Amino acid sequence: MKKVMSGNEAVASAVKLARVGVVSVYPITPQTTIIEKLSEMKAQGELSADIIRVESEHSAMAGAFGAAAAGVRAFTATASQGLLYMHEMVWWVAGSRMPLVMVVATRAVGAPWNIWNENTDFTQLRDAGWIMGFAMNPQEALDMTLQSFRISEDSRVFLPMMVGMDGFILSHTKVPVNVPDESTVDSFLPLRNQPYVIDPEDPVGMGNMFQPQDYMRLRHSIELAIKSSHDVIREVGRDYNSKVYHEIDYSTLNVPYKVDDAEYVVVSMGAWSGDLMEAVDSLREKGLNVGMLRIRYLRPWAEDEIRKALRGRKVLVLDRATSLGRGGPLHLEIASTVRGDVEALWGTVTGIGGVSVGKGELEGLIMEFVEGSKSEPERRFWYYPERVRRVELRTPREVE
Amino acid sequence: MAMRQLGMALGKDVAMVVVAGCSSVIQGMGPKDSYNYPVVNTAFASGPPVAAGMARAYKARNRDVTVVVWAGDGGTADIGFGSMSGAAERNEDMIYLCVDNEAYMNSGGQRSGSTPVSARTSTTPEGKRENKKALPFIMIAHNVPYVATASVGYPMDYVDKLKKAKEIKGFRYLQVLTPDPYGWLFDPSKTAEVAKIAVQTCYWPLIEFQEGKLTVSNESLHCLKGNTRRPLTDFTSIQGRFKGITEENLKSLQTYIDSLWDRIRSMM
Repeated sequence: MKKVMSGNEAVASAVKLARVGVVSVYPITPQTTIIEKLSEMKAQGELSADIIRVESEHSAMAGAFGAAAAGVRAFTATASQGLLYMHEMVWWVAGSRMPLVMVVATRAVGAPWNIWNENTDFTQLRDAGWIMGFAMNPQEALDMTLQSFRISEDSRVFLPMMVGMDGFILSHTKVPVNVPDESTVDSFLPLRNQPYVIDPEDPVGMGNMFQPQDYMRLRHSIELAIKSSHDVIREVGRDYNSKVYHEIDYSTLNVPYKVDDAEYVVVSMGAWSGDLMEAVDSLREKGLNVGMLRIRYLRPWAEDEIRKALRGRKVLVLDRATSLGRGGPLHLEIASTVRGDVEALWGTVTGIGGVSVGKGELEGLIMEFVEGSKSEPERRFWYYPERVRRVELRTPREVE
Repeated sequence: MAMRQLGMALGKDVAMVVVAGCSSVIQGMGPKDSYNYPVVNTAFASGPPVAAGMARAYKARNRDVTVVVWAGDGGTADIGFGSMSGAAERNEDMIYLCVDNEAYMNSGGQRSGSTPVSARTSTTPEGKRENKKALPFIMIAHNVPYVATASVGYPMDYVDKLKKAKEIKGFRYLQVLTPDPYGWLFDPSKTAEVAKIAVQTCYWPLIEFQEGKLTVSNESLHCLKGNTRRPLTDFTSIQGRFKGITEENLKSLQTYIDSLWDRIRSMM
């Protein structure tokens, strides 16, 4: 059934449908309305999950971890400073090979304070050993949250999974979303499956001191699990399409748009891919052979899909995140994937800290790339929309 | 020692959460360990919320399991203090056991918030300037169902308190003094003796707080009257960490201990 709802409400609906046992959360903008919605559902008796309203994000992840280790489905959500504050536990959960799910409603990282959208909080966790999906709209946020429980609990994976979505742009914007009914979700999502349960019936210990050789083997097992998650994600996606919802194709990790005959391909992730599709359509009407490749999974990183989509093209990578001093993280990932296989590779960082980049600006940027890449096949730069160009670059001493 | 007695007291259906500290090492090397309880090892500040998540999951699964957090004084007084206070305020269902050896002993004996004034540690070679954080009183102020202190010098008292704690629901806090021969600088064979002297000199009050009432345990009753206490110097002179303590500093330690007992009397 289609209902008009925000990304955060869509996520809350997915958590309810997934029959989560324990939700462990701490509020932070722009994620807060997820936990407010869940609390409302709980108060009205619609939600069976227990909710721990912890005193910090470090404890939010710890609470979810404890619940998951003791045998129930667990969920948390956060953003920005909150994600940084729980950083230690994010790694601990992956090292413990404990399936659980987190949604990140992305937001810029301080200092200075900024509550608006940027994906750096999400992308900086790509070394932590999690499966990392990123939604383009509230529908995907709901679908991917549901899928993430099954992916995370698949015995070939047994890793935690996070789903990112752009703060405010998706978290707070209301659009029609298809919400499946309970029996449909039950037919797709089996009962909880996990590598071990902490229970006196079968006293196992986890996380104690490991010798170097055992530790190294365990870390390698995570690398291998991320590798085998490629097929699991495609398999789960196909099953979701056949049982739950088919209007978005989940049989691939990443999503190509008009790439087959394209001379130029723009790589992006998240909500602005919608604007980018419109820009692609509009430029195609003007006779430019351009397409788009949307990254839906940052981990695992689908080298095969990406290399195939980009081979022989001129590629522009858009990053709404930074690896400061090295441009954007997507650009770094793409550059190491395609190497000499592309005709041109530009990486641009833009839309940082909530700077709006719309369809018109994207078209302008693509035209700059089309012209510039003729003489300059490789370039890395920060792209400012017109109104930002007028703002002077400041040093800390100049800010009052 | 405190770990062995825990096993005696709590029996079956226990799950342990062990935060960073010497107990994360003495389990032995993974992937096997030497405990008979299921154990979740976890990062320093996360013991109480991990235990809270487990307790809630057991409840959801209709399993009757006592969750025990095992943490040192560093994990309790300092880095884990916020999350413990949060779990206590929410009255999460667990036994929180603080194993107090009065310094960061696992990393080589650096000062903690629970180190007493004038004690030398590897980060306070001149003697610590500040008093020991009065954790039991802070936990009493949280008004949780059960707070108690114990000493490994009096194992029966410790075991009784653990057994009592197991029968209560909600947040239960136990702090057990465990003298460390390597950090406190005394011969390991004297561990139980030092733990007893700590109580006899009234340095370490054995108390219980339940249903809003504070009681003094039998081994500490003599401390309520100042004139029957064993002299504090019996405690300070048996350990190397107080070597060279000045008269003035000894007086300051005594003043701190007197203030603890004033507080206990005022709360009874």
